Amino acid sequence: MFKFPNIHIGKITVILAFFSWIFLLLVDSIRIFGEVNQMDVGVSPQLTHVLEIIFFILVYIFFNDNINKQQNNRFLNLIWRAASTGLVASAFFVASFLFREVLMADTKLAQDEQLKNFSYHVSFALTAVFLISTSLLWKNLILYQRTKSVVQQWQAFEIILLMSMFFMLFVEGSETKYGLTAGIVFIIIYSIILSINLKWIPYLTIREKWKSLLYLFIIIFSAIGLYFQLVDLTPIEELNLVNNLFLMGLFAFVIIYSTSSFLVTLFNLPTSSVFEQKLVEAINFQKLSQSIKPGEDEKRVLDILMDSCMSAAYVDAAWMELHTPENEIKVAHQRFISDQEREDLRATLRETDPFREYLDAGTPSNIEYIYGRINHEAFASVLIFQLKVHNKRIGNIFLVKEVKEGFNKEMIDIISTFVGQACISVENYRLLNEALKNERYKEELEIAKKVQQSLLPSQLHHNDCFEISGFSAAADEVGGDYYETFAYNEDQFALIIGDVSGKGTSAAFNMSQMKGVFHSLVQMNFPPKDFLVKANKALSNCLEKKSFITTTYYFLDTKTKTIHFARAGHCPTLYFQHKTGAGEFLKINGMGLGMVRGEQYEEFLEEGFISYEPGDIMLMYTDGIIEAKNEIGEEFGYERLKATLDQCNGSSAEGIKDMIIDAVYTFIGKQTIPDDDYSLMVVKFIR
Amino acid sequence: MLEIMQIKDEAYTTITLKGEVDASNSVELDAAIQNAMQSGSKNILVDGNSLEYISSAGLGVFMSYLEDFQESNINFVIFGLNEKVQNVFHILGLDQLIRLVNNRQEALAIIYEA
Repeated sequence: MFKFPNIHIGKITVILAFFSWIFLLLVDSIRIFGEVNQMDVGVSPQLTHVLEIIFFILVYIFFNDNINKQQNNRFLNLIWRAASTGLVASAFFVASFLFREVLMADTKLAQDEQLKNFSYHVSFALTAVFLISTSLLWKNLILYQRTKSVVQQWQAFEIILLMSMFFMLFVEGSETKYGLTAGIVFIIIYSIILSINLKWIPYLTIREKWKSLLYLFIIIFSAIGLYFQLVDLTPIEELNLVNNLFLMGLFAFVIIYSTSSFLVTLFNLPTSSVFEQKLVEAINFQKLSQSIKPGEDEKRVLDILMDSCMSAAYVDAAWMELHTPENEIKVAHQRFISDQEREDLRATLRETDPFREYLDAGTPSNIEYIYGRINHEAFASVLIFQLKVHNKRIGNIFLVKEVKEGFNKEMIDIISTFVGQACISVENYRLLNEALKNERYKEELEIAKKVQQSLLPSQLHHNDCFEISGFSAAADEVGGDYYETFAYNEDQFALIIGDVSGKGTSAAFNMSQMKGVFHSLVQMNFPPKDFLVKANKALSNCLEKKSFITTTYYFLDTKTKTIHFARAGHCPTLYFQHKTGAGEFLKINGMGLGMVRGEQYEEFLEEGFISYEPGDIMLMYTDGIIEAKNEIGEEFGYERLKATLDQCNGSSAEGIKDMIIDAVYTFIGKQTIPDDDYSLMVVKFIR
Repeated sequence: MLEIMQIKDEAYTTITLKGEVDASNSVELDAAIQNAMQSGSKNILVDGNSLEYISSAGLGVFMSYLEDFQESNINFVIFGLNEKVQNVFHILGLDQLIRLVNNRQEALAIIYEA
């Protein structure tokens, strides 16, 4: 496949344009030579026109390519390019004029037709370059914030200009003059229509506006100057390069658009500060909403808020008060006001209604802001905004002005938006911090959970005479249920199950104390009742007033097949007798540990005794199982527990445990979240 | 959900508990008893007719005041507990430390006897 070489349009068009211009110069020189010497040189005027058109098109292509490539398409830059081209063209004109009329005034050279022709052609080329490039630059301005209709208007304009180039080829003789006039009038009207597209002007800053006024003036001046100079410089009537519709049309367009831009910019000057102000407000607003980034804190947000409010209302002084958690008032930001003045002003406000009332209310006021006159030597009007975060008033912002009635509705509206946005930012910042803190707590709890799980035994002691299986689940991350075993020797064991009052972290702490007490007392091999009395004594010293622990302690001897036990307020053990085939609750008297913290505790205890037989099952559990509620608020209860055990008494200890847990979870349903700790220990006697 | 009502009569203060006492609202129960004691009442009755459930945290609140009642010579009587709640008191042994009676009349009788 044929492939176009990667050519540089800019360079090629420049070279081609240059050659076409040289050719044009040559042709015209020959024509002038013929004209001067009254000879027929055999060169048709049409050739001049064709070369002119080729030159125009090449220049157009070059600038179209060149301007689109330019990255820096700021308005002022565009106008400056046009103005500088105009300056160069004008400068050449002035230089050539000076050269001919002053330096060479008396020489023959000044009168030389060919030299005059040469300078005419250079000026023509520069003017064409200036007009075409300026038109293309204006295109960028006209199409700023374009709509479809504007684009269509411009495309139509380009077609009209293209047609106007060929105008001179087809219209000849006496019609030329009328046709030219009609064409120019048409282009002028069209240019006026295009000249209303001036959306770029408001976006200039006031400084840029002044500059653009200067540049536009240069452009207008150059264009008009060049036109008259070119007309003046025409060597012979038959060789008038300017007298074509395209160039005249461009003159008209460039001058009309520049003039309208000039006038609009001029009339925009007084209002431009307002527009700039609005722009600043919009930027401030954006700054506020983006100011909550990692590493930027409340102080920064409030700082931006202060600046934004001050510039929005042109205030003379301002400060911000923040309420500390201790209900003290702290001055956070202070601008253009001394401490002394501020305190004076604050005292005045404290004495003036309605400010006093507004400021006294520590709680958020329903009124967002308050403003009015104050009686103070330096300042005459004040505007106070409350800062509200999380439905709490965190402070006030005070804006003061030296003039009376210094605040209007527009200012207050914009400040209100700023304050609202800042408060949301602060709120977000605080929420974020809280979330981070909670995340830390969660991690700590996760650690606590692991520690606590390690407190529950992974292996329960037993021998061949019985099976044992345990289970525990906490409602929160950590719980207060506890069970453990201890083996004295091959035949003798201690078992304990307990439940700490309350739940969560405090319960978990007490549970670990209980474990400590168990391990220290179990070594002494006390009978169950004595064990509880001692445990009560030990725990009475370290349990909170409102806390208690319920527990049942068992001493199991597989040689004598006996169980001695005592109950400290714990749920009665469910004992299944193989012989009768039914379970029963072992209701002996008891009292929770820590409930009676004195010697008389012993009086509330009783010791139970069982002689077990193979096939008997002892079920130890905590009240979470009994009190587990289903969706309609019904409790699992003692009867259901008993019935479940009666049904599955044939299984192993492990199996019974699983079935009971399964029954409890089925009962509460999948939707319900357990609100208490569940623990369970099953002992099944084999022989 | 727990609703607490407190009515002070000449001779006694009645705290009516309605709903469930658990770890989250046991503080309210604590405040109510504290309040009744501070008001100078020498007889405090707890109406448990509408008490549906009490957790260990709630029982702990009653327990924590037992010594104070003794020291200040305050008669503290709970009446009207349903069977289930009463059983909870019984299992823990708290019924041996607090007087539980069936109804208001019995409770008042205890007060007037004393």
